[in-house]
Amino acid sequence: MKKFAKTLMSGVFAASLLAGCVSGNGGSSSGGEAEGGNQAEGGADNGELSIAVVPKLVGIPYFNASEKGANQAGEDLGVDVQYTGPTQADAAAQVKVVEDLISKNVDVIAIAPNDPASVDPVLKKAKDQGINVIDWDTPANKDLVEYSVKQIDDDVFGRHMAQKLVEAMGTEEGEIAILTGGLSAANLNLWIEAAQKEFDENYPGIKIVTEKIPTEEKQQVAYQKTLDLMKSYPNLKGILAVSTPAPLGAAQAVQEKGMQDKISVVGSALPTDSLPFLEDGSLDTAVLWDPGKLGALTVAVGKMIAEGEEITDGMEVEGVGQISVLEDGKSIIMGPPADFTKENAADFDF
Amino acid sequence: MKLSKESVLGLIAIATILLMSLIAPGFLSSNNINNLMFQLPEFGLIALGMMVVIITGGIDLSITYIAALSGVGAALMLVNGYPIFLAILVAVIFGLACGAFNGFIVSKIGVSPILVTIGTWVLFEGIILAITKGQSISGFSETYSLIGNGYYMGLFPLSMLIFAFFVLVTGVLLNKTGWGRNVYMYGSNDVATLFSGVRNNRVVMKVYLYAGLLAAISAIIMTSRYNSVKVDLGSSYLLQSVAASVLGGTKIEGGYGKVMGTVYAVIIFLTLSNGLNLLGVHRAIVDVFIGVILISVLTLNFFSDKIKQKKETTKASKVA
Repeated sequence: MKKFAKTLMSGVFAASLLAGCVSGNGGSSSGGEAEGGNQAEGGADNGELSIAVVPKLVGIPYFNASEKGANQAGEDLGVDVQYTGPTQADAAAQVKVVEDLISKNVDVIAIAPNDPASVDPVLKKAKDQGINVIDWDTPANKDLVEYSVKQIDDDVFGRHMAQKLVEAMGTEEGEIAILTGGLSAANLNLWIEAAQKEFDENYPGIKIVTEKIPTEEKQQVAYQKTLDLMKSYPNLKGILAVSTPAPLGAAQAVQEKGMQDKISVVGSALPTDSLPFLEDGSLDTAVLWDPGKLGALTVAVGKMIAEGEEITDGMEVEGVGQISVLEDGKSIIMGPPADFTKENAADFDF
Repeated sequence: MKLSKESVLGLIAIATILLMSLIAPGFLSSNNINNLMFQLPEFGLIALGMMVVIITGGIDLSITYIAALSGVGAALMLVNGYPIFLAILVAVIFGLACGAFNGFIVSKIGVSPILVTIGTWVLFEGIILAITKGQSISGFSETYSLIGNGYYMGLFPLSMLIFAFFVLVTGVLLNKTGWGRNVYMYGSNDVATLFSGVRNNRVVMKVYLYAGLLAAISAIIMTSRYNSVKVDLGSSYLLQSVAASVLGGTKIEGGYGKVMGTVYAVIIFLTLSNGLNLLGVHRAIVDVFIGVILISVLTLNFFSDKIKQKKETTKASKVA
């Protein structure tokens, strides 16, 4: 038993030495920084700024792309970026990550909350410790964040998709249908409302044949519903699909029936997923935003806040472009949506 | 001097803490120590519940969803204006009801625990989704948030005291009561236990009830700490709690397991993940790291058990 204990102890020590190795390069820099952080209580000017960017979870294409953007911006701007989040989209795990970041004494925390309410207490704590708190990608409690970095303006996004659909149809008249991820998803509803407004105001010839159709955020369901739609409305010319799986399902149905030339599909989807459908024209345009730029903008905003710089409407951010600030003075909009088409979709890796 | 498995683990826990305070910047800051104290109870309670089930040779894969469902029960009471006391009561009742359901199917019908609890995992998840439609329920009173965020006498985290209380209770129940003895016996050999006149199904029923109770207590702490509840609340603790139990020396085939072992294992897990976070190690690497440690300890345990067995058999043959 004693021998066993000895083996175990030596094993653990070997393992812990290994731990030192794994984190060696990261450790030395963050070690210096923490000292800087402690001194920074007195004067924040010595030591580089550390900005923590917390995604909903790590290891999915969307957030990997924003990690790349955030790290790149960190290098360009000369700030230390720590991109860290839970490996599961669990609110409890995310709170833990933020708590550890508070202990690390970072200067800025930017969070994309899994469950906005659940990060309230921990964000309050961060604020009390003098850490600047912003949110990105998904809004947190408005009263707790200094700025809210949003990928797009919902109204602009909805109208843009509507315009793209009309463009793809090649005519300003005809029947269209709208697919949505779920009837209660707030952001999707805002996009659809904006699109409907655009149709009403600028394209009176467009007729929406039925109420928006929910697809449970599933490609399979969107596919089924689109097949049904094509059967019930043989004159259908266009489909607007919001939520990322919906356009894929719609395009799949169009592809299967060989209706590429008759029915245009436009929706919000990731370029890598849409590529096979974009190539043969079953999906005409996928509209979304570039998550890499979103990460970069988040870091840039974090730096500006920490340095007390003012963020104004229409200012130019390096690597991102012109941003706009909404009337509430808190919401920062990254810019116009990005279009992914047959020509450019292969260039993206998310 | 002979060290038990658990004491060795305790030493490892101390070694990990020492190591982290040497290499991780800010590990010993009062803020970080507080963090750890607040993070420990919710995970520790679930791990204890899981341990008790594993001692019987079973497993409870629905445990974090029992917690989430209890949390939803408490949350519904709170947002509808019922007093905190009633909300806590409802959470406990939900936890016990879920535990009873698991216990009934495992003990009376005799389906294997892993199948039953995979089924109830999906079932409870479905119930929560039906109630909440995937949204979170939030906005509880300041007083309620004290359970998970408050200090007792302005010094010690209240949730930590609750955890300490249940560590004690679990220890006493397992070591000083007839039920506890039966739990270990059932885990070693259920047939022999049955033939020695123990009512197996009652023993097993109580095991799942107790796991449900601990899940509910953990849920109360979590909902209060996060001021919100959602379908996947605490779901990251599910496999971690199994890992903590076995790292703590609990035999996965049942019959052995000590409260302190699990507590030390939970401390080791939290210290490692916190320390590595402070060092800025990527989250995925943290997971890899914990996995490696788990596997090495289990392998060591396996071989040490084998050596011990060999010694005993040679001794026995010499005597003969």
